[in-house]
Amino acid sequence: MSRRRLPRWAIVLAGLALFFLAARFTGCDLALLWERRGHLTDILGQMFPPDWKFLPRVLSPLWATVQMSVTGTVLGSLFALALAPLCAANLSAPPALRVLLRALVQLARTFPALILALAATFLFGIGPFAGTAAITVYTFAIMTRLTCDDAQSASTAAYRALLAMGTPPYRAFFRAVFPGVASTYLTNALYLLETNVRHSAILGYVGAGGVGLLLNEKISWREYSRVGMILLGLFLAVCLIESLSAWLTGLVTGRRRSSPALRRIIVVALAALFLFCTATVGAPDFSRASLRTVRAMLAGLVRPDWAFFFQTDAGGLGWLLLETVCIALAGTAIGAVISLPLAILGSGRIMPRPVALLGRTVCMAIRSVPFLVYGLIFIRATGPGAFTGVLTVALCSVGLLSKRFIQAIDTVDLRAELALAAMGATRLARIRHALLPQLAPAFGAAVLYRFDVNIRDASVLGLVGAGGIGAPLVFAMNHYNWPTAGAICIGLVVLVWLIDLLSARLQGGAKA
Amino acid sequence: MYLELNGVSKTYNGRVHALDGVSFAVERGQFVSVIGPSGAGKTTLVRLLNGSERCDAGQIVLDGAHLENARGGALRAIQKRLGTIYQDFALVENVSALQNVLNAALPDMGALPALAGSFGRQRRQQALGLLERVGLAGKADEPVRELSGGQKQRVAIARALMRSPALLLADEPVASLDPVTGRQILELMKDIQRTEGVTVLMNSHNLDFARQFSDRLIGLNGGRLVYDGPADADEDTLAAVYAGKAAP
Ligand SMILES: Nc1ncnc2c1ncn2[C@@H]1O[C@H](COP(=O)(O)OP(=O)(O)O)[C@@H](O)[C@H]1O
Ligand SMILES: [Mg+2]
Repeated sequence: MSRRRLPRWAIVLAGLALFFLAARFTGCDLALLWERRGHLTDILGQMFPPDWKFLPRVLSPLWATVQMSVTGTVLGSLFALALAPLCAANLSAPPALRVLLRALVQLARTFPALILALAATFLFGIGPFAGTAAITVYTFAIMTRLTCDDAQSASTAAYRALLAMGTPPYRAFFRAVFPGVASTYLTNALYLLETNVRHSAILGYVGAGGVGLLLNEKISWREYSRVGMILLGLFLAVCLIESLSAWLTGLVTGRRRSSPALRRIIVVALAALFLFCTATVGAPDFSRASLRTVRAMLAGLVRPDWAFFFQTDAGGLGWLLLETVCIALAGTAIGAVISLPLAILGSGRIMPRPVALLGRTVCMAIRSVPFLVYGLIFIRATGPGAFTGVLTVALCSVGLLSKRFIQAIDTVDLRAELALAAMGATRLARIRHALLPQLAPAFGAAVLYRFDVNIRDASVLGLVGAGGIGAPLVFAMNHYNWPTAGAICIGLVVLVWLIDLLSARLQGGAKA
Repeated sequence: MYLELNGVSKTYNGRVHALDGVSFAVERGQFVSVIGPSGAGKTTLVRLLNGSERCDAGQIVLDGAHLENARGGALRAIQKRLGTIYQDFALVENVSALQNVLNAALPDMGALPALAGSFGRQRRQQALGLLERVGLAGKADEPVRELSGGQKQRVAIARALMRSPALLLADEPVASLDPVTGRQILELMKDIQRTEGVTVLMNSHNLDFARQFSDRLIGLNGGRLVYDGPADADEDTLAAVYAGKAAP
């Protein structure tokens, strides 16, 4: 099959045009931001030094945040593992079951953790249990998808050989297919653990436990030195989890050597941590839930408000979704452009060590702040609206993309760069001609993935007044207006599905 | 008769007749080689015999059990008495040789011990013994991906033997090995057939090997049986198998 390839300049031009359209639509105005930069520096100045006396108050909700993410990530990953053999097409599961499961996972994948958490509070009451449930579902959806894709591209020769000896399929999967995908599975789970800490940190906004509630409160009371304390705590927690995760990833992928005894100790320690986190999550509170609520929620999905769904003017569903996409698009693009130099600064292979360390710390600090906090702070400078959303998404993308970029740079083959260095090329020339061409596919994939996630994130920005579909969705849910919420959810499902198709297309094109 | 095929047919996609009315019988303890050009239906035959696929018509009777209409638990009960080895070894590459051999014990275990990988002392002892039997005494803890092709096929044979099979199926077991290693593997299979009384049915397109090691040859071409007779038939008769003409 041959596909006609567009010339490169056309792709670049189309990308630029798209970006400018999105920027126009969302009212991007960098001059305004510059003019009002004083508001931002003021807030930053008040945050530091943080209010140390406030620290004891932060610890318990911070722990709840970590707890929700650990329990949710482990449970979600385990469920995903249990179901993965059922939705991989090359294994012997019944096709009908596979299609059903895939559809469910795709549905769950559509919703940002915050919306899942809000829905969970209607079932399990206010508190960390709802948050844990949301993180579990969120992790489950992503991990099932990833693990299925891995299993699907794995060799099945050994699996079929075991089946031919009379082994039941489930056992054959775990003994013959899983060993081949185990290290990617664990790496993915660890990566999700990191991102889930950030997700958990905002769940408090909808009453699902953790540090988010406190954060929201202190920001709205403008007690910025206390906000600074909370953010510092989060930064340290993220640092801790990221280094733990990096260390474990090294063990899992075999880059770090380990003895069987050490591995056994680690497994036992992690199991103990998980059990401790799970046991202390706190029971659900079913008093707010009722069969009627559940039925009303489902009815809203089945019989959504079609008038709102098809409303085409400003304020209608289509317009709000378009705004959400534009926020994600413009924000991702800006974030990607800023991440590139930052990643080069943060890479120990290109830059001297102290510079790299500083670069990495800046990236980590940026991504340890929950994105709604950025929204709440930017709003003080640029006011409510989509532009604030773009800035928020951009800054978040900087934190996460720069990390991915640094990882790509750290694993790239440096021989071409050394060859140019030997010929006396300058550092800039070496980066441009030896590094970037090799890194382009990895960078492209990271940006596409980030765009995909950013759409979900952008769809909750409305919660803090930063534009997009989030405000009407949360408003509808909080007012038990299920038909409108249903219409928005269906709109989101369609949107995410379309973007998935497009991104698969683009990725296929990038590989070809 | 230990194994009997009666008018066995298999069609893929409604038009490719991979096997077309094949009938033959094998006595217990025989070493039978199935020869024929590529696409003759040899692999299909093995897949039908080990229950990986189901035939469209005909009967396959293995030690009195009908394979052609067995399903679920009944099928698995028959499959448990078989061992199969493959051209591409079909091993789990990133676990040890020992673990691969132990995998053959999975059908006999409870689901939980199977998932946890706790096979017990006795099975480990048995697996280690089998690895020694196939000449891999020191390699039990080596990851399979680090073994040579010949060593991998030895692990696969040990895995098949772990089931104490009455019938050992082999689909081109030496086609991806060099001739010297291939001969060693066949000598091992021959030895197992002699000492353990295992019935062997081997696919091969290497005529020399097939003639040298088997008691009997079965020729397939285009899914049809075109030869069934002694292994020491003359060259012309066997050349006719490859040309697609039925031998007299
Ligand atoms: N899974 C399959 N789907 C469709 N056709 C197949 C399949 N397996 C085998 N065939 C066809 O059946 C015929 C016999 O194949 P096979 O048994 O693999 O032959 P051999 O092993 O003797 O080379 C060939 O024409 C092949 O293309
Ligand atoms: Mg074949």
